[in-house]
Order: sequence, then C-alpha cells, then structure tokens
Amino acid sequence: MSSQAMKGFEQLEGLPEAIFKRLYQQPATSLAIFRRMLPNLAKTFVMAMLFNPDPIPISTLEGWVHPDKNSLKEEAFAKLRQLHLVTERQGTFALDATFKTELTKALTGGGSPGSFGLPCDTDDKNKVDISFLDKYATEQWESILHFMVGNEVPSSRRPSEGVVRLLLHGKLMEQTRASSEAVITQLGFSFLLQEANAQVWTLLLLYLDMAEQLRMDPVDILHFLFLLGSLELGQDYDMKSLTPTQKGMLEDLRDYGIVYQRKSSSRRFYPTRLATALTSEIRATSSPSRSIQNAISHGDENGFLIVETNYRMYAYTNSPLQIAVLNLFARLISRFPNLVTARITRESIRQAIGKGITAEQIIDYMTVNAHPQLRKNTPVLPPTVVDQIRLWQIEGERMKATPGYLFKEFSTNSEFNAVCRYANDLGVLVWADQNKGNLFVSKHEQIADFIRKRAQPNR
Amino acid sequence: MVRAIKGVLVECDPSIKAIILDIDSKTHDFIVENLDESHLIIKDSRVAELKRILEERLNEHTKVDSLEEEEEEEDD
Repeated sequence: MSSQAMKGFEQLEGLPEAIFKRLYQQPATSLAIFRRMLPNLAKTFVMAMLFNPDPIPISTLEGWVHPDKNSLKEEAFAKLRQLHLVTERQGTFALDATFKTELTKALTGGGSPGSFGLPCDTDDKNKVDISFLDKYATEQWESILHFMVGNEVPSSRRPSEGVVRLLLHGKLMEQTRASSEAVITQLGFSFLLQEANAQVWTLLLLYLDMAEQLRMDPVDILHFLFLLGSLELGQDYDMKSLTPTQKGMLEDLRDYGIVYQRKSSSRRFYPTRLATALTSEIRATSSPSRSIQNAISHGDENGFLIVETNYRMYAYTNSPLQIAVLNLFARLISRFPNLVTARITRESIRQAIGKGITAEQIIDYMTVNAHPQLRKNTPVLPPTVVDQIRLWQIEGERMKATPGYLFKEFSTNSEFNAVCRYANDLGVLVWADQNKGNLFVSKHEQIADFIRKRAQPNR
Repeated sequence: MVRAIKGVLVECDPSIKAIILDIDSKTHDFIVENLDESHLIIKDSRVAELKRILEERLNEHTKVDSLEEEEEEEDD
C-alpha cells in the first residue's frame, strides 16, 4: 500500500534544482526529506558524509556494498543525485552544504527557535484533546469523501469552495454541462480506494500544483507541509513563526481537517493526526497509516466486511460513504438497517477496472476493512476470491503498456551491453533485444548522462 | 550514434499484435516502431484510444461468456 504514497514523492523529485536548494534551508524540511524520500542505503551514505568535513571518495562508499547488491547501490546514488543532495567532483561525493548544516541542526539541536514549530507559551482557554482532534479530522476528511461520492451532506459539513475547486483542478471531480453540480471522475474513484495517507498526499500535491498557478511560493508551502509532519499531536502551536503564505494556507488546511483552529482569527493552531503522520516513514512500519485509517474510519477500529469463498460479501455498515465505495466493485443485493449484502461478480470487477481501479486497490480495501471475525483467518481474504479478482483484471490486459523511452542504433555491441547493465542496476530497464540492439527504459535522464560520459571518458 | 525515442512500450501476444497492426493499417497513426512479434512502440497520446478500440474488437467475442454468467446467477 505504501507504494501509492511513494508515487506522490516521485512527483516531488521532478522539481528543479533551485527549488531543492531552497528547500534545504529549513532543518525540518531537510529532516523530512532524509526520513521520507531516501532509501535506507542512501541514508547510510548521508550519515557517513554528514559529520565528515572532506568529500568522500565514491570508491569508499562502494566498498560498503556487497558486489551482488549493485542495483541497491545504483538506486541510492541515483536518488542522491536526483535530489541534488551531493555534488560530484573527481570521483568524490560531498553533501550539499546547506543540507549538511540544516540536517546537523535537526539531529543535534540548535538553529533558530521555532524551526520545528513554535509551541504556544500561554495556556489555551479552550484547550482541545487528542480525541477531539481525531474526531475533527475525521469529520472534515470524510465530508470531502462523502461529497465526492455525491452523498447528501448537511450544509454545515459541505466542503468549502476551496476544496471543491481543488477537486475540480485535480480532475477528481468534474462539472457536467447539464448541471452545475460536480460529479466524480474515474480518477476520483481510484482516489477513494487509496489508503488515507496517500489520499492526503494526493490532495496536498494537487494543492501545491494549484498554488503555483496562484503565484504562491512552492518552497514556502513545502516547508510548511514538512514542518507539519514533525509537529506533536495535541500540542498547540503559535502562528507567529509562519510566513504570510503559510498563514494563508492554514485556512485551506483547516478545511481538509489537517489542522484545527477554533476561529480563523485565532493565533494558535493544532495539527491533527492527518498532519503529524505526513512524513512518517511508512515503509518501516504500517502503524502511522493504520492510525490515520483508524482516525478516518468512523473512529471505530473494527472492520465491517466479511467476504465468503462463494463471492458473497456482507458489510456491517450503514455509512453511505462505505456503501458507495462497495458499489464501485460489487453488485449490491439487499440492504438492512445495519447490513448490506453484495456479490462480487466478473461484471462488477470489470466495471471497476474500466473506471481505472486496480485489482490491488480492491483487495487492499477489502483487507484493510475486513471484519475482526475474518481477520482471524490467514490469509485474511479467501484466496480463491483474491486470485479470481486478479485473474479478472489480467483478462482485460491483453496488452501491457509501459511509458518510457526506446534507445536504439548503438554503435557497438559492448556499448549496448554496458548501457543495458547500467539500466538494469538502476532498475529502469523494461525490455531489451540483444539481437537488434533495442533497449526500452522507463526513465531516460541518467541513461543519457551515462552514454554521454562514456562517449568522452577523459572528462 | 544512439537515438532515443519517447513512446509507450506495448507487450502483447502475437495474436493481439496482429489486431493492433490491423487497427493501425487504417490510419497509420498509432505505431512508432515495430520491434518484434510481441513488442511495439505506440505514440503516447494514442494509447488510450488504441486500448478502447482493442477492447471493442475483443468484446465481440466474449459476449457469450457474460450471458452464461447471468444464467448461473439466477440460481441463487
């Protein structure tokens, strides 16, 4: 599931170098990038370079890696270069100076007060506790999801104009010509089935995208998002240390349920669980994403879905949102006050896939929401059902499409082989034909660099 | 000199490839490179369209299956 959240970060990797250089000016951001965007081996390399005043020869770093694990090494180097974290000179690596200072500050303390948020020094007369914040975040976030599936929501809980504009901008919803009401799109459906952390990031990245059009500074926004990830749940923070852009953002983030403010004029804000889990290392542990999942799944931790081997499904729920989501991939049969029965059929799954939902998303959704009774089984879901859903998906995939770049007309066979090996180490090689000298890769920048370097070995 | 071409790599069975070639033969605006019997490069912008047409062609043959399924469902 974490791969969905990671996709968001790949989008960030495409930012221009100048933006990265400015991002590294804040300790909170440097720490967040270190925690969230680097593979473990790259973290080890960074730690080696962090407290070392001199550049480190690349061969030294290479010596740490078992020759069998070349692809991990290349992945780590590629990430470091891509994020502009290292400068390469005469076979040595040096950490970006700004990043080095700020990460050191983050790890050892120091720097200006408030670089990790400024806690309020006075007591809040209307102090709120964690359970209140969870409830608030849940309500706000769910009202967005409810709105998306077109459920009737009380006008007090209707998402604000800003949220609707964001959903339209991200093509998660679209306005039909017939009515002014927005309706959900295919992209929106697959958004609904993502895990909560990925959903939050999807919306925030859309926000970032839209903000650039409004001429808000993307660096300011990213600083604030990464800062939010390092705040403490249940603590109130002072707005004093925020830039004007960031103060403007608070209002929008309040609408999403990411921060809580009692009034818009209030000078303090509380991060909710949606905020504090933003930069958690979800690959290491599933608990942060689980905790948001709990925070937004009606507050109760129990799943509600029972799936039987005969493809019947019983959902103990009366939430219109959950029923609407089930309706995306199952045929609903009957509805009782606290129970919905449904059936997974080839048609229903094919329809879901037609809408851009993947079999994995459906399976993930059913696993996450499985009833405690069902969780006693290992595996949780009946394997026959899981396999069949996957098969139904493959059935439609008569052709497998991978976007990328074709490299051809290599001058020599050895050049082809070298590039082929390099691409494989980077993990971007999709397909190669030795005989005709054709090579297909998913990303081309580093490959092009590699070919250029080989062409002029003296530099 | 090495050349790089942007596009979408499509992997499929030779039978499916034959259908794609047939679709392309009418307008000649899908295929960029014909690599071997199971690989093709398709234009970025045309993949969705190609998938749609392909699905249409294939569905002409699978209608029978879905009928059978409905009969089975009447039992429950």
